[in-house]
Amino acid sequence: MEDKLIRLTVNGRDEAVVIRPLATLQDVLRDTLELTAVKSGCGQGGCGSCSVLVDGELRLSCLTLAERAEGAEVTTLEGLNETNAIVPLQQAFVENYAAQCGYCTAGMVVAAKALLDRNPAPSRDEIVEGLSGNLCRCTGFAPIVRAVQQAAQALSDTGEEAS
Amino acid sequence: MSMKELGVVGRNVGQRDLESHARGQTTYYEDVHYPRMLHLKMHRSAEPHANIVKVDTRKAAASPGVVCVLTHEDLPGKKVWNGLAAVGVGPEDEPVLAFDKVRWRGEPIVAVIAETPEAARAGAAKVEVEYDPLPGVFDVEEAISGSAPALTAHWPHNHYIYPDDHAASQIRFGDVEKGFAEADHIVEDKYQTSPIEQAPMETNGCIAKPGGDGRITVHTNTQAVHFARDNTAAILGLAPGKLRFLGGTVGGGFGGKVDVAVEPISVLAAMRTGRPVKFKYTREEEMQVSSTRSAWRLYIKDGVMNDGRIVARKITSYQDSGAYLRFSSYGSMKHAGHMPGPYTMPNVWVDARVVFTNRPPSSAMRGFGVMAASFAIELQMDKVAKTIGMDPWQLRLLNAYRNGDMRAHRKVNEDAAMVETIQAAARLAGHELPAEYQAMTSWDRKAS
Amino acid sequence: MPELLRPGSIDEAADLIARHGAAASVLAGGTSLMRETYPSDGGYLIGVDRLGLDKVVSHDGGWSVGAAVPLSVLREAVPIAALQAATREIGGPAVQNMATVGGNLFARAPFGDLAPALLALGARLVFATAGGETTQSIEDFYAGWADGAPPRAGLLTRIEIDAPTGASAYMKCARRRYSTPSVVTVAACVEKDGGTVSGARIALSGASAHPFRCAGAERAVIGSGLDEAAVTAAAAAAESAVEPQTDSVASEWYRRRMTGVFVRRVLAALA
Ligand SMILES: Cc1cc2nc3c(=O)[nH]c(=O)nc-3n(C[C@H](O)[C@H](O)[C@H](O)COP(=O)(O)OP(=O)(O)OC[C@H]3O[C@@H](n4cnc5c(N)ncnc54)[C@H](O)[C@@H]3O)c2cc1C
Ligand code: FES
Ligand code: FES
Repeated sequence: MEDKLIRLTVNGRDEAVVIRPLATLQDVLRDTLELTAVKSGCGQGGCGSCSVLVDGELRLSCLTLAERAEGAEVTTLEGLNETNAIVPLQQAFVENYAAQCGYCTAGMVVAAKALLDRNPAPSRDEIVEGLSGNLCRCTGFAPIVRAVQQAAQALSDTGEEAS
Repeated sequence: MSMKELGVVGRNVGQRDLESHARGQTTYYEDVHYPRMLHLKMHRSAEPHANIVKVDTRKAAASPGVVCVLTHEDLPGKKVWNGLAAVGVGPEDEPVLAFDKVRWRGEPIVAVIAETPEAARAGAAKVEVEYDPLPGVFDVEEAISGSAPALTAHWPHNHYIYPDDHAASQIRFGDVEKGFAEADHIVEDKYQTSPIEQAPMETNGCIAKPGGDGRITVHTNTQAVHFARDNTAAILGLAPGKLRFLGGTVGGGFGGKVDVAVEPISVLAAMRTGRPVKFKYTREEEMQVSSTRSAWRLYIKDGVMNDGRIVARKITSYQDSGAYLRFSSYGSMKHAGHMPGPYTMPNVWVDARVVFTNRPPSSAMRGFGVMAASFAIELQMDKVAKTIGMDPWQLRLLNAYRNGDMRAHRKVNEDAAMVETIQAAARLAGHELPAEYQAMTSWDRKAS
Repeated sequence: MPELLRPGSIDEAADLIARHGAAASVLAGGTSLMRETYPSDGGYLIGVDRLGLDKVVSHDGGWSVGAAVPLSVLREAVPIAALQAATREIGGPAVQNMATVGGNLFARAPFGDLAPALLALGARLVFATAGGETTQSIEDFYAGWADGAPPRAGLLTRIEIDAPTGASAYMKCARRRYSTPSVVTVAACVEKDGGTVSGARIALSGASAHPFRCAGAERAVIGSGLDEAAVTAAAAAAESAVEPQTDSVASEWYRRRMTGVFVRRVLAALA
């Protein structure tokens, strides 16, 4: 088994990375590309802290083999701030105190983005469902759900994208 | 003071790191990257209680990618330790790496350091330990019954003995037996809480990086950076100045990140290999071997008058410390200090013991010692209310402590807010209280 | 560590599986398989991502669902109530985007929440083996399980679902609303002739070693008007048919009790 070179687009940039056999997308993002907003709370799909978008779809980078992300477009939380300005979805997390230790936050924001991209005006229950694969042990889910509600509201008020 | 003069109360106060969290820019311990970093994996005890006959690390050392294997023989300083030894709590009872005996399933025995996490895991799986199993004890009352095996020579009866020779944290206030004799009712029960894992989203871990100046930099997610550094130095026999601990950014702790279980061995591995070493608990390790909230068993006996006054409360409690002491003696003091709950009673008797069993060592979690006490006391209050046929809200209001009351541990109560809190809760819950109970305050007992 | 192989055709994949025998594991969405650690060397992961098994074909009589179709795609493509409900009950949105229909059929208890829906719909499974294609009813597939583990059946390529001739319903009993393992999962498909049940399939998962159709519960409702007596009898039959385990999710006692409760609720939804 040999290391391999794969190419993929991450946060809009073309990257070529060498991967170890069975390396996960999480390994590539965190260790090779140093996109450390991608967290690793369990390494087995249970916590959502490693959530990223692959070709616009929410996925768990810890369960995704890097080799199978070849050619894909990957977005991590860092990819939301192309211009360095904080985006409304992130701002809503700040204003609603939707983080304490912050460890779950990147995954939460990415999952919320995936939801709002698909469904710009989700009901409360749809938000709960949309974030159900992401665990938070500190904040309690209520402020997080409020943050997403506020972001959705801002989106409909301005007609802009949430993120 | 008018509301206008208050700077913080009643306002939203910004949380400094919120924006950084929302942007994913907060740097946790494992977000630093070092080239040539090694990974540490622990081989752990498969037995809850056993003599170690033999430890064979040859196959582990020969496993592909393994760079270094550490056993208790490699420890340059202490072989046993306790985190509070420096402040006079002890004795040092917990092996850094087990040697003659294991006392809980999951106890660390051999550290295997390798080029990748997978190689370290594969190497650790190849450590061979021969055990001579011993009978184990998993129940606090069995442990101290006299028939159970003694876990260590420190505690021949498997319970902690305070430096002043007391076998328990005690409260003696008034005369409970006299109180029971005068009471209209006796209400007794047994209560049990479970060990609870703090389960932070980020598991325990650290990275130890040797520097050119002979110092080791440790990136850690401990909740207690200075405490972890001082203990690491003490365990390894190093001057604290040799260690530079960077931390404070914790991905959830809740009491679960004060074990100092990862730093000493990682520093030793970094010193041995001259390379950065990362030791990160897997999620399974976090759930199974990191210390939990202690489980408690409590017996509560109350003497109660027909009008609802509780005139005597006797509590015997047993904290399951697991195999070693860690901070249990401190937790037990907080536990006893909380008794008899936020209520004033003329007669209180408490014996709170710390007991050793072959369970994973337990430790702090939010409200160390207090949660188990509150749990049992509030269930007991409901039971008392039911026994005498009184509204449980009224029972609590009647007995709630007031300003100026003498507490069982002989402090005069100040800043009481129990009465007002119950009244507010009753309003929110839509529970009607009679006028005299609505008129009660923390400043007097007149209404009762 | 096992080696990842990504064959480009079904024949090639079937050959690899036949050649490597027990050393080969089919890797679909990886949401189960990737959680396992590989302490030992050797073995092969046979990826299905280049086999074209990620499509749903709709035809006159129903749907032909590729084994590698993700659950979220199944939900959009096949408008059957029980099936759509089931896809929302498996993990969270990320898992649903990754986990495949085929992979879920191999999940070990208490997982395997899609199967009751497919059992209730009478689905057929098509396997590619080195000797050619074989088709099996989904019941026969589960009948072949031993000790809670699937048989080595080769490569599952597609699932054939006929357009239902009755109404279907699906419910999962769990500890939280979403993304949570099952206490018990119940699906039913009921055909009625006037007010009388003329055919019924009632299937369960989570409370036994593997998903299964509960013949006793089906007998109890066929010929009835799904009245109280018939529903009660079906719930009782299901309670005695399950073989629940006690685990960190639920006790044996609770799983059995909830089996009755949820069979009742599912049938009530179809009454
Ligand atoms: C956070 C989380 C939550 C979960 N919650 C649930 C839940 O609520 N309910 C539930 O039922 N499950 C749940 N699961 C379990 C599981 O991931 C799913 O059952 C999933 O559908 C498995 O599909 P997969 O494509 O990811 O399979 P994989 O992990 O790729 O494979 C699983 C098994 O199926 C075999 N297999 C896969 N495809 C084929 C094929 N075409 N032919 C032959 N064999 C094949 C594999 O060899 C392997 O043994 C959860 C998993 C995670 C990570
Ligand atoms: S690290 Fe991927 S889900 Fe927890
Ligand atoms: S803020 Fe700590 S886990 Fe969510």
